[in-house]
Amino acid sequence: MERFGEGYLEERKLVKRWSGPIPALASLGITLAVFYITWWIFQDPRGVMRMYTPYVGYMYCRWWLIIMIWMVYIFNFWPFKRKWLETAHPLIKGSIMTAVSVGILVLLIKVFFEGLLGNFGLAYFNPNQLEKLPGITSFFAIEYSALAILMFAAIASWLSPAWVVACEEAPWQDLKQPAKGFSILMLTFFLSMVVYFVTMHPHMGILYHPWQYFTSIAPPYWEQFADTVSGNFHVSWIMCCTVVVWLVETIWERYPFNLIKNDWARRSASFFGIIAIALAMHFFLYFAQELTWGEAIRGTRRAFAPDWRWLHVGEMAIFFLVPALFVSFYCGNWPKKYSMPVNVLVRTAITLVAAIALYIAYYKTSHLFLGTQKGFSHPQQFPMIPMIWLVNIWLVHHWFMDNWPAWKMVPKTAEEIEEDHETHRAAIADVRWTPRLGAGLGFGIAMGVIFYFITIWALPSVYAAINIIPGK
Amino acid sequence: MSDNMKRRDFLKGAATGVGIGLLGAMGLYSYSPMRKSNFTQAERKMNDIGVCKSVKVTNISETSWFENGILMGDIKGAGGLLVNQYDYNWPPFGNGKGLGKGSYEEGIANIKHLLPNNLEEAWDIIETNSVHPENAGGYAALVEIEEMNGNKHKYLLDVGWSYKWCDECFKREGIDKMLENKEIEALFFSHEHFDHFWGLPVALKYDPEITIYIPEGFYPEGLQYIKDCGHKGKLITVKTGLNKIIPGMASYVFAIPIICRVYGEQSLYFNVKDKGLVSVTGCCHQGIIRFAETAYSEIKYEKDKFYGIYGGLHISPFDDWDPKYDDLVISLGNYGFERIGCNHCTGILCAKKFIAAGYPVIEGTARFRSKDKAYLGNGDIITFG
Repeated sequence: MERFGEGYLEERKLVKRWSGPIPALASLGITLAVFYITWWIFQDPRGVMRMYTPYVGYMYCRWWLIIMIWMVYIFNFWPFKRKWLETAHPLIKGSIMTAVSVGILVLLIKVFFEGLLGNFGLAYFNPNQLEKLPGITSFFAIEYSALAILMFAAIASWLSPAWVVACEEAPWQDLKQPAKGFSILMLTFFLSMVVYFVTMHPHMGILYHPWQYFTSIAPPYWEQFADTVSGNFHVSWIMCCTVVVWLVETIWERYPFNLIKNDWARRSASFFGIIAIALAMHFFLYFAQELTWGEAIRGTRRAFAPDWRWLHVGEMAIFFLVPALFVSFYCGNWPKKYSMPVNVLVRTAITLVAAIALYIAYYKTSHLFLGTQKGFSHPQQFPMIPMIWLVNIWLVHHWFMDNWPAWKMVPKTAEEIEEDHETHRAAIADVRWTPRLGAGLGFGIAMGVIFYFITIWALPSVYAAINIIPGK
Repeated sequence: MSDNMKRRDFLKGAATGVGIGLLGAMGLYSYSPMRKSNFTQAERKMNDIGVCKSVKVTNISETSWFENGILMGDIKGAGGLLVNQYDYNWPPFGNGKGLGKGSYEEGIANIKHLLPNNLEEAWDIIETNSVHPENAGGYAALVEIEEMNGNKHKYLLDVGWSYKWCDECFKREGIDKMLENKEIEALFFSHEHFDHFWGLPVALKYDPEITIYIPEGFYPEGLQYIKDCGHKGKLITVKTGLNKIIPGMASYVFAIPIICRVYGEQSLYFNVKDKGLVSVTGCCHQGIIRFAETAYSEIKYEKDKFYGIYGGLHISPFDDWDPKYDDLVISLGNYGFERIGCNHCTGILCAKKFIAAGYPVIEGTARFRSKDKAYLGNGDIITFG
């Protein structure tokens, strides 16, 4: 039986070529250089293709992420053979698989969304159809359709990995590829479509005048709760879901859901737990803005508008993803020497501090080299694009190129794989109920609540002291 | 169980508990009504800017460009709304290299020697080298304020874009003579955008010594352009925040990023006796409601009432739309404005939505290339008080 990439990421051993932090720093340097070169070629408003319009660049960037998730997480590298994955030079593997992912990307957008859906279903997926409407310029026709297509991507980028990370590929986990991949793809695509219709379609329905009462709910049902008719309210929590899925998968090692023994209970708890954590993040990051900038005022523009505040929640969330992936991809998910909960807490603390530092650095300096605009709330300022672009490059580097050249890929032996599984099982078994654990849990919950209230108390003065953008 | 094991178990529980407690509090408290107890109600500053008798605004030109399709085609072709405005190769900074390949230095080198007195010849050169010079219009307004003692003051708010179009408009409204006679005391720039700022030589042709107020945030090219245009008067860079001008008049600078790489906007407040607050804006990128809310927190005004608006409200400048604009249309009625004269970047669709919502929009005459009566158009006048 031909083996494709099932278990490839888990069964490869990445061996550092140099000791200490040099491989991580070298990889950071290389990937940042690739990021900047490709940013200039594809995205930068001063560069070659200038796709940062912003929605066109955002659409491609976002869908590229999902295509890579599909290729690696859902299809397990199918149709690439295992032997080739293990023996081909990382540069060749990276080039070929990147080219395939881009090919699928273009097909999906041009043929499926613009060609099929846009011409035969919903006009707003196709810019040419929109241009037929009176008063709509070519620029905004392209932007509107890109917005619709990328909104679909935002949902898929949460649900596609969630089915693997939370639902453990059930009920198709025992199928061979490509049957398993297609099954999960069909289900997650269907779910994405349902979520799209109840979150983003009403947004698109009032994007035109008059409001499309006949085909969408107008004004949208979330208006009073979210204080806006904009679909950014949904962008916010969906973006948080995307980030939380990867936090759970990488620095959290699926903890604490992996403590649940019953398969379906664990899967359900993981899937809905990710949503619950994302909602907590969604509400807190909105509140954080209220605490630092003041209450939002409906009808305003920019930093005081509820719709922008919700969007900015999603933007803030993405700053957590970048350090989490770096810790996981290039730092071997450090630390590993403590118990799983303590490891998770330390990594989360590192990610939190790094995310805040990255946020400050981005808004202080990015306009100096990315061609973006200074300030938080410019309508064309989308930190999600450079952040996801960097994440995409890391995915190519980590998934397709085995962290080359700072690491060398060596397949693990059967014994090593078994040892890994045993270590993992032991780490989970190590967290079992005892009275002291219960006492610690109670103490920790109290500390978490206290930490939350200290944070919201201190946030306004800390933010004022940092003064990220003078004059704001 | 050893002490070490007990400590490890406690730590495992505590580490897990911190996450649960933190996330639980985040989820349950952060968007609940209880959170509002954390908000401090900022005390109104009630700055006294004085009071005036009346304000009259003459729309010199609100048509910044004549065809949305052409402008947006240029923006799309050059790489989008974040491209530096000096790089589009629009007039007057054309260098003949085509769309998206312009630069301030190359463009100004072709015309600098002709500014500000030989604008017809300059425009001939510009037409040869620039992208779509025929689409350039401009935004400019004459603001006349009458003090309580009867003294009158005239100010220009912005000077448009195309030298040719702006000169025509200045002559049509008699601005040329007012400038020559030094009747206009100062020129306020709302922001650095091409359609508000690049027509500067037209004003300087008639009065090179006029005092100019710019909001802080102008880029080096913009500051150099003021010099290259032959300005000989005082240049005042206005800091972010409130700046009193004369009794009853103040400007307010907002530190905000704007499309086409522009930063900062200055708008005008007037406190009209027995009427209330009047807002006069160039583009109002900060948003009219933000502008009103800022007035509420910063300024003392008659009857504590918002009375009037004039200018571009920057809602759908390219007749694009977004649901967030509906938030504005829905909310504006809560502010109680009694006279709304809108045009330019407000968006005709938006003006029509205001009218449909029953707001007191002062309609115009749709003359001199203004497209719709929903706008207070070119040559139209609005008075407050």
